[in-house]
Amino acid sequence: MKRQSAFVTYMGQRWAIVFLVLEFIFFSILGRGFLTLNGVQIVLFYGTTLALLAAGETFVIVSGGIDLSVGFVMGFATIVSAKLVAAFSRMGLSPGLSIALGVAITLAIGVGPGFVNGFLVGHLKVPPFLATFSVQGITYGIALLLAGGAGAAKDVPILANLIGNGYLLYWVRGQGLSFFIRPEVARGTRVVEMIPTMVVVTVLFIAVGAYLLKRTRFGRYTYAIGGNIDAAIRSGINTKRHLTLVYIISSLFATLAGIIYMLEYVTGKADAGASFLLDSIVAVVIGGASLYGGIGTVWKTMLGCLILSVLEMGLRMMGVPTFDKFIAVGLILIFAVLIDQFFPELIHKED
Amino acid sequence: MQRVRADAREDASRYRAVSLLARNWALLFLLLMVVVFSFSGKNFFALDNFQNILRLATTTLLLAYAETFVIITGGIDLSVGFLMGFSSVLSAQVIRKLCLAGWSPGACIPLGVAAAVLACLGCGMASGELVSRYRVPPFIATLGVLGVATGITLHISGGFPIGDLPAVITDIGNGYLYYLHPASGKGSFFRPPAAVTEAQIRELVRVFPNATVLIVAVLAALWYLLKHTRFGRHTYAVGGSTDAALRAGINVRRHLLLIYMLSALLAGVAGVVFVFQSGIGNHTSWGANYELFAIAAVIIGGASLMGGKGRITASTVGVLLLTVLENGLYLSGVEPYYRFIAVGLILILAVVIDQLFPDLF
Repeated sequence: MKRQSAFVTYMGQRWAIVFLVLEFIFFSILGRGFLTLNGVQIVLFYGTTLALLAAGETFVIVSGGIDLSVGFVMGFATIVSAKLVAAFSRMGLSPGLSIALGVAITLAIGVGPGFVNGFLVGHLKVPPFLATFSVQGITYGIALLLAGGAGAAKDVPILANLIGNGYLLYWVRGQGLSFFIRPEVARGTRVVEMIPTMVVVTVLFIAVGAYLLKRTRFGRYTYAIGGNIDAAIRSGINTKRHLTLVYIISSLFATLAGIIYMLEYVTGKADAGASFLLDSIVAVVIGGASLYGGIGTVWKTMLGCLILSVLEMGLRMMGVPTFDKFIAVGLILIFAVLIDQFFPELIHKED
Repeated sequence: MQRVRADAREDASRYRAVSLLARNWALLFLLLMVVVFSFSGKNFFALDNFQNILRLATTTLLLAYAETFVIITGGIDLSVGFLMGFSSVLSAQVIRKLCLAGWSPGACIPLGVAAAVLACLGCGMASGELVSRYRVPPFIATLGVLGVATGITLHISGGFPIGDLPAVITDIGNGYLYYLHPASGKGSFFRPPAAVTEAQIRELVRVFPNATVLIVAVLAALWYLLKHTRFGRHTYAVGGSTDAALRAGINVRRHLLLIYMLSALLAGVAGVVFVFQSGIGNHTSWGANYELFAIAAVIIGGASLMGGKGRITASTVGVLLLTVLENGLYLSGVEPYYRFIAVGLILILAVVIDQLFPDLF
């Protein structure tokens, strides 16, 4: 009896990874073209947005808050970056330079919504969901205003598309490998594309985020605040400043997701990220983070992201309408929270 | 001695005056806006436009009433906007299918409405059970229900609006209580006077939209419910202090369940009103932000997110304030996208004021 419960606990703590493997096997058998190089790459490629938003959300949820604005901050960033890049390229700068400048300035602007969120939550003690909920409305309004109601596709150089949809490696039989640049081949020759560039960029940034949360003093403070904010204040942590930084990080990850969206689709869209809000929170919760704060890691959140991305793409490759995904995601959220509530020992180790 | 007492009395009356002003700032602001827009907006100050504002505010009013009850108990309901889309798609689909099957509109419309409202009650029961029995934080519980409801909505509609409904639906939804033809002095209730010819239709004066009749009825019922019944007193008690409410013998669990069901019910009615006004059932887009407007209206009305405070009439003023702002800006030639920014800023301002000066309200 005792061994069985130990086994249940062991599996309960790893249910996400078990679920992911089962899901993978299920779709490999039933999904058309799922278990191919392209199939896997598509899952990763479309998973980048969710992964970045969820990584930012992890910081906020670990600190005991919630960020409802990530989706619209991302949409805001798609429009700002598209507008900036287009403006620079119209001014006569080279495509490469205008993209680099546009991306850098967008990242700087992306600090803004996070700062407002963090200031409201940290300094003025506004409940996080309400502060971020209001900021969501404001960023959406500004994004629509900038876009004039339509997309912002005009004059973005074609190079953006090459970067956004490029691959790290190209392989042609007989010609060998080439990095980043698609080899010129005769029509009909098969070019094997490996590892989308944007997946590499995403993984790099998420690795930095994971390091920040796990190995630095900043990360330890975040856990401390989420675990018990009064204790954190008494032990001398500047919680106001720290919470502001946490919301800025979340906003920066959302901005990055927006920039990558702009590079992939070569346009801006104000509600590009809106439907990802629910997914990003669910991914964090599946990863075992507690909505009461203090628990969660970026790598486990990535597990949650993979589960959701595989689910969405797998359903799509099976020909099931992706609308059904929302039902599944909503149910997963409710169940994960209920398990967190009643069997915390199943998910969290006793350390 | 006497002077001290007189001073104290003066202070108290001054405090009462300031407090009265602070508590009714939304109403004052609303009146101020009406005055400003009457000068700056083209055709703003007209019977037609005022009735338009009331008509356009109908769904937001219903959603704000739903939020009012939830916010007084100290919770929040993020799903109302999406439940409205759910209800509109479900009712439109049921009505369309039944009408195609040869049923008379008189039979299929009530059935469609009942189906949608009942389904919404089910959703409300789900969030209510999660919040009351399983202690899930309200915004997470309603976020989960939102996902499920949106999935089902999109499954039913395939992502497209559902039209092809009997014309009587929009006749009722966009109709007026009384029609008057000033030239001939003829008038009639609910439909244009029979004697009025096609050419004279434009001269008709329409008074009091049907949708507003509904709102007045709902407002009166909810006002009575909140202010003069045990249910209402318990709602304030639960929001003020759950522990105290428990000790006073209130069945908090059952009460919260009923509150979330009432909220979902009102969202369902809003969805039905949407169908009656637009003639289609459509899912709520991710960028619609209906919740933002509803919650902002309730907070503008002086409710506290900590619970225990809030009035139905004040929420009504909050919605009218937002709708007049939107309508007036539009008629003054300002881009409509400013409304999101304005609402977000007002919401932040109201919450910060509530946080910093809690005794003002």
